[in-house]
Amino acid sequence: MTTLRRRFPQAFIDRYSEFIPDFDEFLEAMQRPLRRTFRVNTLKTTRERALELLADLGPEPLPWCDVGFVLDGGEGLGLRMEHFIGLIYVQEAASMVPPLVLRPLPGERVLDLAAAPGSKTTQMAAMMENSGLVIANDQSPGRVRGLIGNVDRAGCLNTVVCRMDGGALARALQGTCDRVLVDAPCSSEGTIRKSAEALDRWSVDAFRRFSGLQKRLILAGYEALRPGGAMVYSTCTLAPEENEVVVADLLRRRPDASVCASHLEGFKMRPGLGSWHGEAFPEAVRACNRILPQDNDTEPFFAALIRRPEREIR
Amino acid sequence: MKYVDQVREQFGIPGDVFERLAAIQAQDTVFVGTPEVMKFGAARPMRRGIRLCRIFPYSVKPTTFAMQVLGRPATRNVIGLNDEQARSIINGNELMIDADAEDGFVLLRWHEFVVGVGLYRKPVLRSQIPRFRSVEE
Repeated sequence: MTTLRRRFPQAFIDRYSEFIPDFDEFLEAMQRPLRRTFRVNTLKTTRERALELLADLGPEPLPWCDVGFVLDGGEGLGLRMEHFIGLIYVQEAASMVPPLVLRPLPGERVLDLAAAPGSKTTQMAAMMENSGLVIANDQSPGRVRGLIGNVDRAGCLNTVVCRMDGGALARALQGTCDRVLVDAPCSSEGTIRKSAEALDRWSVDAFRRFSGLQKRLILAGYEALRPGGAMVYSTCTLAPEENEVVVADLLRRRPDASVCASHLEGFKMRPGLGSWHGEAFPEAVRACNRILPQDNDTEPFFAALIRRPEREIR
Repeated sequence: MKYVDQVREQFGIPGDVFERLAAIQAQDTVFVGTPEVMKFGAARPMRRGIRLCRIFPYSVKPTTFAMQVLGRPATRNVIGLNDEQARSIINGNELMIDADAEDGFVLLRWHEFVVGVGLYRKPVLRSQIPRFRSVEE
């Protein structure tokens, strides 16, 4: 285990051994290459038909996502005809979780505030059976091009793509969205399993840099919700500064907001932290979900389901 | 909208495919999407729904992405391709095919799925699938 620990910066070990349970298992999981996973795009085909076409690859179902599959190997999946015509979407397993927790329904109005490259946008469009409205936004011109490409390939007829500052868009939509996804830009520690180079870029400074933006986006997303609406705030990072601290900040600014427990059958999620570096969080923050790599063999992720009350006390 | 009807008639796509959809024209392009997509006015989007077709003086050219999602029940001007032909055409190659289709834009079918749009001048079939989407062999 000493050798295992030597591959990570000491600051990383010190910081995360403080609160991540089964820490050696965690480190070991963080070094295993990610398994190739994909989602069947039900806007274009059925789960059964996609499996027939991909039978030679031997896809195994993800037990907690009825359209998610894992492959042993799966090299060249992106070059398959099934991918080209949008029957499947190559997507990391943990990245399928935020839409599953948010549960958008057909006919609803849904905002995806930081949408590129579009994996969750297209997943939600499919969950909504190509009805209603998905507003997919990203501020970066380059990333929006990729987002439009993926929306096209997935056949999303219920999606508009915007390129705006998230705060400005949320103000324009104030109080009108049934559901909001804030899959916030983050320091992306979760991608260490995908690329070891992510570990070379690792620094505590990044957390502080992203935290301010994340606090603005979660508040903007909340303001876009209609009374009674639901929002998921998610990141692919472990840092409490980008997760619980952000949710706690929203709860302080909007005391009416509530964090709800969420559950996915067959998928293990751990509770949010109660405190971090001397800062005690409101009890509700414990209802956030931490997804650890050793639990479901995914990237680490964080997802919090937040509700705006029907009647607000102002 | 007349351009939607033109696409429908050109490929024999049943009317109910477009029943719960709306279309708008922006210059020489027609976009198709849900009515909510077309009515959305809170901000100015970069894109509404999917590009259905481009309008030319004497014809309309349907897009690959719209036909992939809406063109499956097409009954006219459709050319079926086997695995090898489908892979070749999406990589930008020409095929020589004797098909029961009029000269002009055709839908390319692989199994029950529409791969994209081609241009047919009997017996030459040319791909109209966006090049950046090409699949390596």
